Order: sequence, then structure tokens, then C-alpha cells
Amino acid sequence: MDAFMAFLTIFTHPELLVLVGVGTFAGVYVGAIPGLSVTMAVSILISFTFSWDVLPAISLMIGIYMGGVYGGSRTAILLNIPGAPSAIATAMDGYPMAQRGEAGEAIGTTTVMSFFGGLVGIVVLAVLAPVVSDFALKFQPRDYMLLAVLGILLVGSLSSGSLVKGIFAGALGIAIGAVGMDPLTFTERFTFDIPLMRGGINFIAVMIGMFGVSEALMQLHHVDTPAIRQKINRIVPSFGTIRKHLPLSLQTSTIGVLIGALPGTGGDIAALMAYDHAKRVTKNPSRPFGEGAIEGLVAPETANNAAVGGAFIPMMTLGIPGDAVTAIMIGALFIHGLNPGPMLMVEQPDMFWFIVGALVMANFFMLLFGLTGIKLFTKIVEMPRAVLIPLILLLSIVGAYAVNNSITDVYWMLGFGVFGYFMRHYGYPLGPVILGVILSRLLDDNWRRAIISEREDLGRFFHGIVTSPLSLVLFIAVILIFASQTPLWTKFRKKETASK
Amino acid sequence: MQDHVHHHDSTRDGSSDATPGGIVDKRRPGELVFTACLVIFSGVLLWNAYGISGFEALSGAGSVPMATAAVMLISVAIVFWRTVKLSKTEDETVMEDITPPLVIILALFLVAYGVLLKPLGFLPTSALFLIASIKLLSKRSWGFTLLVSLGSLLAIYLVFRIVFTVLMPAGIVPEAEALQLLRNLFKGGA
Repeated sequence: MDAFMAFLTIFTHPELLVLVGVGTFAGVYVGAIPGLSVTMAVSILISFTFSWDVLPAISLMIGIYMGGVYGGSRTAILLNIPGAPSAIATAMDGYPMAQRGEAGEAIGTTTVMSFFGGLVGIVVLAVLAPVVSDFALKFQPRDYMLLAVLGILLVGSLSSGSLVKGIFAGALGIAIGAVGMDPLTFTERFTFDIPLMRGGINFIAVMIGMFGVSEALMQLHHVDTPAIRQKINRIVPSFGTIRKHLPLSLQTSTIGVLIGALPGTGGDIAALMAYDHAKRVTKNPSRPFGEGAIEGLVAPETANNAAVGGAFIPMMTLGIPGDAVTAIMIGALFIHGLNPGPMLMVEQPDMFWFIVGALVMANFFMLLFGLTGIKLFTKIVEMPRAVLIPLILLLSIVGAYAVNNSITDVYWMLGFGVFGYFMRHYGYPLGPVILGVILSRLLDDNWRRAIISEREDLGRFFHGIVTSPLSLVLFIAVILIFASQTPLWTKFRKKETASK
Repeated sequence: MQDHVHHHDSTRDGSSDATPGGIVDKRRPGELVFTACLVIFSGVLLWNAYGISGFEALSGAGSVPMATAAVMLISVAIVFWRTVKLSKTEDETVMEDITPPLVIILALFLVAYGVLLKPLGFLPTSALFLIASIKLLSKRSWGFTLLVSLGSLLAIYLVFRIVFTVLMPAGIVPEAEALQLLRNLFKGGA
């Protein structure tokens, strides 16, 4: 009963309701405007809301997250520019539809499907999270350590880039997180005897730099790209199409939740995998894939919104982020004195149910804003990059400064911004860095706890892994990901694709 | 114009973890230097991590940092090895595709912002920054530039000062006095 009351909190507090609404609305536009991303918005937002109470702050962020994952689809359909990473797959069939003059139908279907996927994700979260957290209470420190490693590795291995670069990025994140005084022994780590570094590097500065500044600098390459005007007057959800594709959307939602729930992987990867799945299982698509197949819209859009609920599962139950945005959310919860993990579910189940309620509400707002406001939308999306980029940069600076009122954080942010800019150019993923920073402490603590409990004996440590089914599964998963990088495996893969 | 098409090729930008950017089977300009810097940096980090607690205990303060730095060094060494073997991209140069003048100028603007923020204060520094960068990027008239920059600065200031109660350095602007004056005015009026 208490859980139900906590779930209802959002519906009975008008100010929280408004914040979710405002957040979702803002999220739809942040997601839609190319150059603004949800990770960027949420990381800048943390620094502004950290003096707030926890409930309003979370409400706003959940709205932005939910809206942002959806919002990217609109520009993907109308301009062939995915407004958010999770909409990359949407552009493949959405834009061809718009070219045929079916933009209204494409956006309508996308909206309803996103809503459906979002709902599936939330239901799975509500059902599974308590189970997972019960189970997680039995986790040994070594399991946490393995999970953290697995999460960082998964981003690299499921993305289209190089895993070695992903591993480097993740390790870099862990190193950044370790800078400062070691909380157990009070020895300095990676401080290079610079007094300023004893306090560590503010992770918000790292995030804003990597996702705000580097993205804005990247956009400078496209500053002259003219905005394309699209004629669209009405958004029409076609309920016949939606009913017809319900089985597919259920499958792709499930893929979305699962990928989202894997530590480290989020909506962007989920959408691409769902698209791939749809291509394989759809025998007679409405049109060939890539030329405006409605199935090619249904799959990624259900999956990326379902991944939102999925991503909250490891975040709430294990304290391990499902993707870059939830990594930032974990940071926000830390700042507000909450400690995500199995104990949070035991000690403050209200918090969990409140978040579930907020997600449901955000999902409804998304449906509402998704089916309306197309006129305003076309206006906002035409905002020139020449204005947008300086504003993002200014907000990034204000955000980095505001956390500690410290100019040092601004310099860290700029440094990481420039560094992130080069990382993007040379194909290093940024998500693992943030995951590493957030998980650094958890990894370090649990490794030390695990090895101390085995009396500093590596042999006993491995014996422990091999004799516990859970640890063994996690360990094998980690090994498999590494094995996928060896020349032997690459040869095998090449043979397989050649035979196709 | 044909040879500039690749400037708008957003697949090289790395917008997400699903598509990290770069070019898979080619070496971009500057990539080798960047990777070499990372190798050196990782090496320094490993040396530094060794200095934390050495090999004294597996649970020591330096174990995870050492393992992490070692992983960094090994992985980036592999990247370096692979990068050396790749052939260069044919149509790219550092000054055009990696750090075009606009990027360098904006980065310098940001550094200047950081330097001026404390002495000059938030409002004047931000105004200068927005005017300069919007003028530079949009190439529109001064009227447009001033209107857009000052208008959006005012909006940002109101939202963050009042809704989010963020305190930025006041610098040369007598901000507190002005706000107090405003409050008194409204009190007097009511």
C-alpha cells in the first residue's frame, strides 16, 4: 500500500506534475534540435538543480530523459538528421516516408509506438526491479566489481566502433574517478602533488565538458548547414497500422528493455538492434527497408523508449548505470544524498515507486506533446546553429561553475571538452568515460573488500569466482568480450560474413 | 563545392556510443599524434600509479589505479599499432577537418571567458562572449547580433538567477545593489 502511495506522489503534487510536464516538453525539443542531446541537458541540469529538493530535481530530469529519447525521431523523420543518438535508426525509414509526403503519419505512428514502448519498459521495471534487488542483496563484492567491469566493456562491444578504444575510454574514466585522496588510506592518487587535485576532479565538470562543450565544438563543422523547411500540418496516428504492428512492437520493446537493462548500454544501441531484428523477422514489409518501411519506424522507436525503463533497473537495484544518462542520474542521486543500490530499494522503496510514477507521467506527457505542437516545432528546429552553439557553450560554463562556485571546475570542463572533441574525431566512445567515472569508487571499494575477505590471496579470489554460479557467469561474460577482440575471433567472424 | 561535401558527413562526428565517429579503416589527420600522446600519458599515469603503494598489497590504495593505468596503456598501445598500419584518408587535413579555424577561435573565446569571469563578472563577460561568437558564426548584422545575444543573456540570467538561484561572480556589476533597488521599488509600489 505504501508503495502505491509513493507511486501516486507525482499525481497528487501539482508542482511535481508540472515539473515532469515541463521536463518532457523541454526534452522533446532538446532531443529534436540537432546539437542538443539529452546527456548534455541532464548533465548541465544537475549543476543547476543540486540545491533543490530531490523529488523536484528527479521529476525534471526524468521528464527530459523520456521526452529526449522520443524527440530525436522528429528531426530524423523531417530532416534526415537524428536529433538524438537513439533516433539514428529512425531516420533510415522515417525520412523516406517524409519524402513521400507521409511525414504526418510517420510522426503519429512514431509517437504512439514510443508511448507503447515506454510503457512496456516501465512495467518491466516495476515488476523486475524488486526481484533483482532482492537477488542483488546476495551479491558479493566481487560480483559488483565484475558487473562494473562488464558494464564498461559492454558499451564498447555492442557499439559499431572499436572495442579497444572503448576499453581505453572506460579505464580512463576509472582513472579520472580515482584522482584525489583515497578515502580508505588517505594516500594521494594521481594528484601529481598539485594541491588543487587532492579534492578530485568534479565529475559534473567532466560530464558537461564531454557532452556539452565537445558536442558544441563538433557542431561548428556544420554551422553553415541550412535548415530545411518541411511542409507538414497535421500529425496523424494511423491506428490501423498500429494494431497491425502490435506483435512486432512487443518484440522490439522486449529487445529495448533487455538492451537497456544491460549495464552500460542504452537507447541508441537498443534502437539499432531492434531495427536489425525487424529487418530479419518481417517477411513482407510495407515497403522495402530503407525506402520508407513503417516497420523500420516501429522497431527503433518502441525499443529506444522501452530502454528507458530498462536502464533504470540496474541503476536503481545495483547502482550501476544502464547508459550515459542514467550514469548522470546516479550522480544526481549521490548529490542528493541517496545511494542507488539494493539497499536503496530496502530502505527507501518510496523513492523507487516515486520514480516509476514519474516515468509513467512523463510517458503520458510525451504522447501529448508528441501529437501536438507541430507548428511551434518547425519554428524551434529552425533555430540557427550560429546562435545555438554559443548558448550551449555559455550554459556549459555556467553549469560547471555553479556546482562549487569554482573557476577550477570551469577549466576542467573546458579541458575535457577539448579532449572529448578529439576523442570523437578519432572514434573513441564517450559513454564509457562517464560510466568509468561514476563506477570508479564502486569498483575500487568492492575489489578491496573482495580481496581483503580472501586474505589478499588471488588464488582464493579466483576460487571464489569459479565456485559461485553468479560470479562465474559474470566472469565468463567479461572473458568473452575480451576474446571477441583476439585475431582468432576476428578471422572467424570474417569467414562467417563472407559465407553470407 | 564537391570536395567539401565530407564536411557535412556527420557519421564522422561520433554523436553517440552506438556510432562513436572516426573512420574505421582509415587514419585521419592528427590521429597518430593524438594516439601517441595517449600512449605517453598512459605511461606517465602507470608510473604515477606505481608510486601510490607499489606492489605492497593487493588491497592497497594503488592497486586499482595501477591496473587501470596498465589497461589504458595496453589498449592504447594496440590502437597505436593498428593506427600506424592504416592508410591516411585522402581528402582530409588537420586545418580543415579536425581543427578548423572556427573551432580554435571558439576554444580561445572559452579560455578568455574563464580568465575574465572573476574580474569582470558574469554579465559583461557573457555579453562579450555571446556578441563575439554569434557575430562570428552568423555573419549577420550588428543589430541582429546585439538583439539576439543580449536578449538570450537576459533570459538565461533571469531563469538561472531566479528559478535555479545560481550565484555567478558579480565582478564590476553592482548586481546585489541593483536587485535590492528593484525589490525596494516593488515594495514601495505595493
